Amino acid sequence: MSAILDVTDLRKSYAGVHALDGVSFAVEAGSVTGLIGPNGSGKSTAIDCISGFQKRDGGRIVLAGKDISGQAAHHIARAGLMRTFQTVRIYERLNLRDNLAIAAQQFDAATWVDELLRTRRYRQAVEKAETRALELVELIGLKRYWEAETGILSYGQKKLVALAAALMPHPKIVVLDEPVAGVNPSRIREIEVALAELNRAGETFLIVEHNVEFITNLCHRVIVLDQGRKLAEGTAQEIHTDARVLEAYLGMTPEMAEAEMRGAA
Amino acid sequence: MTVDAVYLLQLTLNGIALGLIYALIAVGLSLIFGVMEIINFAHGELLMLGAYAMTFALPVMGLLYWPSLAVAIITIMLVGLVIYEVLLTRLKPDEFERAILITLGLSIIIIHVMQYLFTATPRMVDTQYGFEGIEIGSIRLTFTRIIGAGAALAAFGGLYLVLRYTQFGRAMRAIAQNREAALMVGIRPRVVARNAVVLAAGLCGLAGAAISPIQLVTPYMGQFLIFKAFALVIIGGLGNIPGAIVAALGLGLIESWIGGFFEIVWQEGAVFVIMIAVLFLRPDGLFKRGGMRVG
Repeated sequence: MSAILDVTDLRKSYAGVHALDGVSFAVEAGSVTGLIGPNGSGKSTAIDCISGFQKRDGGRIVLAGKDISGQAAHHIARAGLMRTFQTVRIYERLNLRDNLAIAAQQFDAATWVDELLRTRRYRQAVEKAETRALELVELIGLKRYWEAETGILSYGQKKLVALAAALMPHPKIVVLDEPVAGVNPSRIREIEVALAELNRAGETFLIVEHNVEFITNLCHRVIVLDQGRKLAEGTAQEIHTDARVLEAYLGMTPEMAEAEMRGAA
Repeated sequence: MTVDAVYLLQLTLNGIALGLIYALIAVGLSLIFGVMEIINFAHGELLMLGAYAMTFALPVMGLLYWPSLAVAIITIMLVGLVIYEVLLTRLKPDEFERAILITLGLSIIIIHVMQYLFTATPRMVDTQYGFEGIEIGSIRLTFTRIIGAGAALAAFGGLYLVLRYTQFGRAMRAIAQNREAALMVGIRPRVVARNAVVLAAGLCGLAGAAISPIQLVTPYMGQFLIFKAFALVIIGGLGNIPGAIVAALGLGLIESWIGGFFEIVWQEGAVFVIMIAVLFLRPDGLFKRGGMRVG
């Protein structure tokens, strides 16, 4: 396996506070990697900087061998890094079909002239996008809402729409910002299953999340941030028994953590 | 006072024609606002340039209406493209005040350049249709008015289809609804903004060209329209395209009726009285939850 995303010495400060103080990590192609840490540890800032949503102060971000450091968000999206947001950002007055079509870079093959004249190139682009969209909608179990405005969906369903949109153009990596925060517990398991299935199909994920059970079940590797630095990195098992992590993040003793692990498994 | 039914009908038809012209301008403003979050105060001047383009195209085209209309629309779309590429592309989404000053300045410059080049003397425009028209009973409608109204309706239909069913339109609606989400999936903001400005300019060019055989063409003809159109966009709910169309038609009718029965001064003030009332009663405009907004 090789690194699809390589972050080196990422730095960002706000008004003198080092939100990110030289963070480096890599995400392997085909893996699910968790990025965890207490509030204010810099994990959200890290993915904001990686996705071009915020300007970083320093550091290098390489996506599939291509340097994307400092590029605008839409360039990064087109380079193959898609993301979702902690608070759902979808188009609530558009139907599900259009929500996904907007994310479909498949349309790039056709110019507006093709679109106007409905050329073969355009029809092929539409077909490709629709096929992908239907496949994803099937997977997230929202097929019956295909023509419905997404504003009517529940919060958890909206999160799934955002996930499907991020997957539309067959990205190299999808960054998920707290995919299950605020989601009804009964739905969390559904999201987990969907992500595991997508990962088996070859998708790579980088996930920021507070839900320990969710991270433990899904992630091959976990990176722990604390106060803008990388505190630890390893498998979920290793992280759970790392004394520094327990102290900084979980605020637990190793015995408490073990009990939690048993509960999760 | 007895109201003559024929007179009232004539006023109503005139009002609809006027309202459609207002709607073309207001929709363009709304479209640009939706995508770029700026108000283009030079929008009235695009209409004026459209009318001038028609005055120059008609003699060249042997007074043929349709080719001249096409030339005027394409010319104004190009003007829109230049305005976007030279000025608007440098604005960031949060620079609302800068956008106001830049477009307002541009509007004044365009007016004076046109006055310098072509004098302030009003121009009359003649087309192949002259003053021909149809008569229904004692109501008379000139072809130029009918065609103008028809072209406006066709333009709205076309705009609806573009926004609803094309990727190009979907991208505009996406940016208008949730800018960040749209950028995060790779929508190119400049391309979308440019498309919106060119499209809005085209609608404005159509309005100017359609109005030119009906009204006198002067460098100042767009100046007051922009404030009315701005008021309409607010009344209809910022960024709400159907809202703007309904408000524009309503205003056309109200102005026409007021003009038919009262002193002309009341006609010009009506829209602003309504705007202020709406802003106090419904701060988000009359049609807050419009069916289809830009976004």
